[in-house]
Amino acid sequence: MSLSRRNFVIATSVAAGGSMVLSACSSGGGGGNSTSNGAGTHTYTGHVTVGTAQDSQGPAPEIQGAVKGGNINGLSPSDFSHLDPQRIYFAWNSALALLYVRCLTGYKIAPDGSQKLVGDLATDTGTMSNGGKTWTFTLKDGLKWEDGSDLTVEDVRHGIERGFASFTTEGAQYLQTALTGSADFRSVYKGPYDGKHLEGVVIDSAKKTITFNLKTAQPQLNFILAMHSYGAVPVKHDTKEKYDKDPVSCGPYKLAAHAPDKSLKMARNPHWDPKTDPIRNAYPDSFSFEFGVESLPESDRLIADSGNDQYTIMAYNGVPAERIQKVLTTPALKQRTINGLLTGLYYYAINCKRITDPKVRQALNYAWPLEQIRRIYGGPSAGDYATSVLSPDILGYAHQDVFGKLKKPQGDTAKAKALLKEAGKLGQTIVYTYPQGRESAYEKTKIVIANALKEAGFNPVIKPVDSTSYYDQVQQINNQFDVMWFGWSPDWPSGYSVIQPLFDGATIANGSNNVSQLNVPWINQAIKQNALITDPAKAGDAWAALDEKIMTQEAPIIPETFQRRFYLHGSKVGGALFDPNFSAFVLYKLYVKA
Amino acid sequence: MTTPASPSPAAPLEVTDEDSAASAKPGNPKGSESRSPGRLAWIRFKRDRTGVISALVVIFFFVIGIAAPLIAKAYGKDPYTTYGQNDPSLLNDFGFPVKPNGGMSGDFWFGIDPQLGRDVFTFLLYAIRNSLLIATATALLVTGLGIAIGLTAGYLGGKTDYLVGRIIDVLLAFPQTLFFISFWPVVLNILVAPNEATPTWLTVVSLISIMTAFGWASIARLLRGEVLALREREFVEAAKVTGASPARIIFKELLPNLWTPILIQATLALPMYVTTEAGLAFLGVGLSDPTPDWGVMMQYGAQYYQSDITYMLFPGLTMVIFVIAFNLLGDSVRDALDPKARR
Repeated sequence: MSLSRRNFVIATSVAAGGSMVLSACSSGGGGGNSTSNGAGTHTYTGHVTVGTAQDSQGPAPEIQGAVKGGNINGLSPSDFSHLDPQRIYFAWNSALALLYVRCLTGYKIAPDGSQKLVGDLATDTGTMSNGGKTWTFTLKDGLKWEDGSDLTVEDVRHGIERGFASFTTEGAQYLQTALTGSADFRSVYKGPYDGKHLEGVVIDSAKKTITFNLKTAQPQLNFILAMHSYGAVPVKHDTKEKYDKDPVSCGPYKLAAHAPDKSLKMARNPHWDPKTDPIRNAYPDSFSFEFGVESLPESDRLIADSGNDQYTIMAYNGVPAERIQKVLTTPALKQRTINGLLTGLYYYAINCKRITDPKVRQALNYAWPLEQIRRIYGGPSAGDYATSVLSPDILGYAHQDVFGKLKKPQGDTAKAKALLKEAGKLGQTIVYTYPQGRESAYEKTKIVIANALKEAGFNPVIKPVDSTSYYDQVQQINNQFDVMWFGWSPDWPSGYSVIQPLFDGATIANGSNNVSQLNVPWINQAIKQNALITDPAKAGDAWAALDEKIMTQEAPIIPETFQRRFYLHGSKVGGALFDPNFSAFVLYKLYVKA
Repeated sequence: MTTPASPSPAAPLEVTDEDSAASAKPGNPKGSESRSPGRLAWIRFKRDRTGVISALVVIFFFVIGIAAPLIAKAYGKDPYTTYGQNDPSLLNDFGFPVKPNGGMSGDFWFGIDPQLGRDVFTFLLYAIRNSLLIATATALLVTGLGIAIGLTAGYLGGKTDYLVGRIIDVLLAFPQTLFFISFWPVVLNILVAPNEATPTWLTVVSLISIMTAFGWASIARLLRGEVLALREREFVEAAKVTGASPARIIFKELLPNLWTPILIQATLALPMYVTTEAGLAFLGVGLSDPTPDWGVMMQYGAQYYQSDITYMLFPGLTMVIFVIAFNLLGDSVRDALDPKARR
């Protein structure tokens, strides 16, 4: 989940130009709109209910018709950046981590896509007491590492403590902050390597329990602990920085071979006991990944479906905009797709430090050409219009449309112009930036955006930034951009994990995700208060209300889309299921068709 | 741009360059009243049917390039408006043209482009206009610079020749495309304020100057070689004995003998720069959307060819026709000027 550094699927590649085989089946035109082609699912499956101890018992329900054996091959443009669980935050790394990392809790996905939070290493989803300041988990029996040794509470604690080490800065920080009560938690505790243990984590080896005593209440700790950043690591086999190269598995598969940026292979872990695992099935004997395959050649390979590609899946990118029409209008191809809505929001952050007048920010919201942008992404197949900060997956989500975007998705430039005139800011310069180099779609959206802004009386200036340094540049406090392309996926499906990182004024710093640099006292205060509500339903309502209030009064962002992605798989791949958390195939449910 | 040595020799020679153009003309009819070599070449060229047809095609491209705004006005569309986005009946939900053949119709002769729905016909006209402008300017500059430096180095010899020779070596060995891709954003960052858009003229000027900076070397080297052979000939010796200045010898004695290779090089260079410029735009440096450009069109065409082959067809075909015609024209010019080399 985490920060959507995961780029749009609308990836395109220059390399595709090299394979210009003018196939005879190419049609000259697009044909009309036929709604029967279907834009894909309309169900958001990212919301999660909390399961019982019963749900947390293994083994995972068998999938009908699934058989053991074979190899599933995944294609991706880039390698996994980290294998060390404490350094995993990025959705793409997590998609693989599900095969070899286990946390105290985890998400159990039903065949219809609905999710439950269950105990993975723990027997249930934990017991909360003391108003969310104390959490206790009990470990299951029969948990083993890939060398056959027992997985103990010490190993679970070690995984938590490694999150404080100097080399694990890439991981999540929620638990560390809650345990120490400080955002600068590394100054309080420096990791387990000098022999000291963390005060707030108490273990009982005989009873196999682990207890967290938090400094600040965290009613949703059971969700936080499902993040791979808090996965268990064996005390005996911890190789510190080198662990990133050769992690030890407690899941159904272990790392067999890895040639960085080329390929990776996962083989079966014989010591994994399915009876301990309510989440994972493990049908294929192995998984292999091939890196460096850009999305257009990747889709062309899967469309052709020849030879080994019959056992192949799109592991990272979805079907790009250039191929989506072909895939969705060819029944044989459409059959080989899965699709789902992402939990995250794609939006444009308005730099509130530079655009200080809320009226101007509202005018930007009114003027933004959502319909044109989405058509460039591939129309309804690319997603739903977003009108709020929280996505429908978030607990407590309430539909709202402050700027009437659903009625006028093409943008209301007249209204925007009137607002701008009222604010006395006609001709206001707007520096718009987007990551350049990977996605051709943004080269097109910039044109419709500039046209709409001109029509609304702004003076648009388009300033693309190279995609490799994009985040570094827009996350600088003193950047010179007014409107910045951005995206955010919640770390767990709650309003806190969206609104706190994006709008809490206390987090503003270089590299912060509060790209809008919004710092409003009443919002900061409301975030603090809402975080303490222990009743999930009440908390959900409070976050939804705050969402609407922020958008109405401050309008710090322009919500764009909740995106839908289509993924192709080969004809011999069975059990295809979309994982809304990490927007990918659920690897551990796939099987090879006989 | 980054050749430190080029400004100094180029500066004095630029002046004489004009002289040479002026002096070359009287040089031709001087031969005889009946038939000058130039006239003979013209007659030979007229007999070459391929050459004449190619010349007409090339002239046609230049004419529509120059007249693009007029044609667009008469046709009633412009290359910047996103017609398809403004009128939902033109593009379907996936962003592809609703009508067959890329949305070709009475209103949009060549169809509209996928996703944005701009008019392909006017876009292509302006693309041809921009590409030809850049390629012609570059070819002229490259030839001028190449002549000046190559002749000087060849005639003066010694240290000058050595120095120029090494500069040429470096330039020819330089990975140009990589250089463009890596330095382009850096240069623009330096020249353009962070809250201003990059002006198109700046892109065009820097494109031309970068391509010129790297392009003159091969012509200069070729001409230097020719001059080395020529300067030991008797007529040069004779000119030296009569006390002619080096400039006079270079431009009055040597240059007239070199027009054949120069013309051939220039006619080959122009289509090369058309493709180079398109290639750079294809790679994302140089002109970019919304400025119409052949390379940008090709880049998009390559993305959509599976669902909208028509869009690829127009920029692709026109470019192939233009480049082939210009290369054939170059061949014919060579045949006409230098009949001994004829097959």
